[in-house]
Amino acid sequence: MSSTTDLKQGLTILHKGNPWLIAVAQFVNPGKGSAFTRAKLRQLKTGQVVEHTFKSGEAVELVDVVRTKCQYLYNDGENFNFMDNESYEQFSLDKEAIGDSTKYLVENTECYAMYIDGIPVSIQVPPKMTFKVISAPPGYKGDTATGGSKDATIETGATIKVPLFIEEGDLIMVNTAEGNYVSKG
Amino acid sequence: MQCDKTTAKTKVECHMKYVAKNRSSFIQKIRDFFVHADFLEVETPIMTPIPGMEPHLTPFESRLNFPSVSNSKTADLPVYLNTSPELQMKKLLGSPEGFDKIFNITKVFRNGEMDGPLHNPEFTMIEWYRKNADYKDLMKDCENLILELVRINRLKTIGADETQNNLAVSQTAAPQIPSLTYQSETINLSTPWPRFTTNELFIKYCGLDLLENQEFATFKKNAEAKNLDTNGCENWDDIYFKIFLNNIEPELTKLNQPIFIYDYPASQAALAKKSSSNQFFAERFELYIKGIELANAFSELTDSKEQLARLLEEQNLRKTMGKTILPIDEEFLSALEAITTPTAGIALGLDRLIMLLLDKKSIEEVLLFPMNKMAK
Repeated sequence: MSSTTDLKQGLTILHKGNPWLIAVAQFVNPGKGSAFTRAKLRQLKTGQVVEHTFKSGEAVELVDVVRTKCQYLYNDGENFNFMDNESYEQFSLDKEAIGDSTKYLVENTECYAMYIDGIPVSIQVPPKMTFKVISAPPGYKGDTATGGSKDATIETGATIKVPLFIEEGDLIMVNTAEGNYVSKG
Repeated sequence: MQCDKTTAKTKVECHMKYVAKNRSSFIQKIRDFFVHADFLEVETPIMTPIPGMEPHLTPFESRLNFPSVSNSKTADLPVYLNTSPELQMKKLLGSPEGFDKIFNITKVFRNGEMDGPLHNPEFTMIEWYRKNADYKDLMKDCENLILELVRINRLKTIGADETQNNLAVSQTAAPQIPSLTYQSETINLSTPWPRFTTNELFIKYCGLDLLENQEFATFKKNAEAKNLDTNGCENWDDIYFKIFLNNIEPELTKLNQPIFIYDYPASQAALAKKSSSNQFFAERFELYIKGIELANAFSELTDSKEQLARLLEEQNLRKTMGKTILPIDEEFLSALEAITTPTAGIALGLDRLIMLLLDKKSIEEVLLFPMNKMAK
């Protein structure tokens, strides 16, 4: 097992005894020469998401994760089933292991399978994905004269905040790490 | 060109016009607010040979060329883009011409700050100073200024995003409880806004009294005993920040009221006056709304001897950090000597404030030309 002081999005680290994927890493500089990295971490086994701030230069242990391309097949009501694109072997994961990424799984989506010691523990969806909007009721202005946003439902059933001009049938690009709208697809 | 709802291309133009109109209107109202309160607007240079000394800030550096009289070669001088107009504004306060209440809306520049939704390396700062005042007077200024902008924002309809399906613009009279909607949450703006000292927050959320933990080793030991993460911390301030960021700030983000955090450890307030009640703390506050740091204020340190000592300490720290060693501004020190009345000053990030007022999630959504986008 190796260690790093360079915390970056996509790394898997050992934190409090468990493997966590760094979903978002952001630099914070509160003053007095101290620099920190605020990370959003997703526990690979349980899907739990926490924020933690690391001191820049603090050594963290890396978990050796093997990533291979895989394809999402179907949900059998309990588990999500995938096929490894290299070995053609199928595997299934429960929704906790997949975490927030369940919101972005459409059949045949290509993603990455993550293996620790040869066992599939989670998957990683592409950082930006395009979805069809299946419902986007017209928004209206509340009490602030702002550009505003509204909720749209995408084909997976997930809800995304979008600008008011997005309509049903539009394709939109979503940042899957932050869960937010990026642009009109 | 009119905003057209039909094409994606014009969406961008509609957005830019929306941002431009709103920025213009807010800046106008901010000027009105200060002028009405008898402040004089001053302009300070953006490029300076002596920028602020704060060790955590990295100014953009360049060189100024000029013909030399003594020989044919061109001479040059290091110059920097200002990280804050503070030094120049204090020189005005110390001038014999009697500047008492001054404000400035100016661009400031900080290198290396481009990560996340709250930073752009170039941003706009509103900075104001009051003589015969302390930091608590500035808390009231913040409340009044922001309430005024929220009230105006509520009444106006300009820039109503022409791309949206407008239903009725609410005609409601000023509500009973002033509030602001930000990211679907209602922030209660009733005054006075809650105030907490840094020590109250450490006691409340971590059970640690900073006064009993003034030494690095004690602080580390007691923090670890409470299961607080201090990994990688090399000095007292590192521990302070790590605990603040991990264990206190997330709690503050949950509060649906603006809050003033005040009386910072003196080590984190080089330009502030030490607290009269306890020398371990200095009279500094920060204003937070939904976890977003909006303003930073001090009762100004006007003792030039103590100021020199603290600047030397910061210069030293810059040296250990491998940063550019910046000169000490003698003019600034003598200006301080000339300030004979208690004085307070504050810097408020205009772009972050506009972000809150327009309910936008990131600073780049309220800038016409955000650097983040260009770098991508």
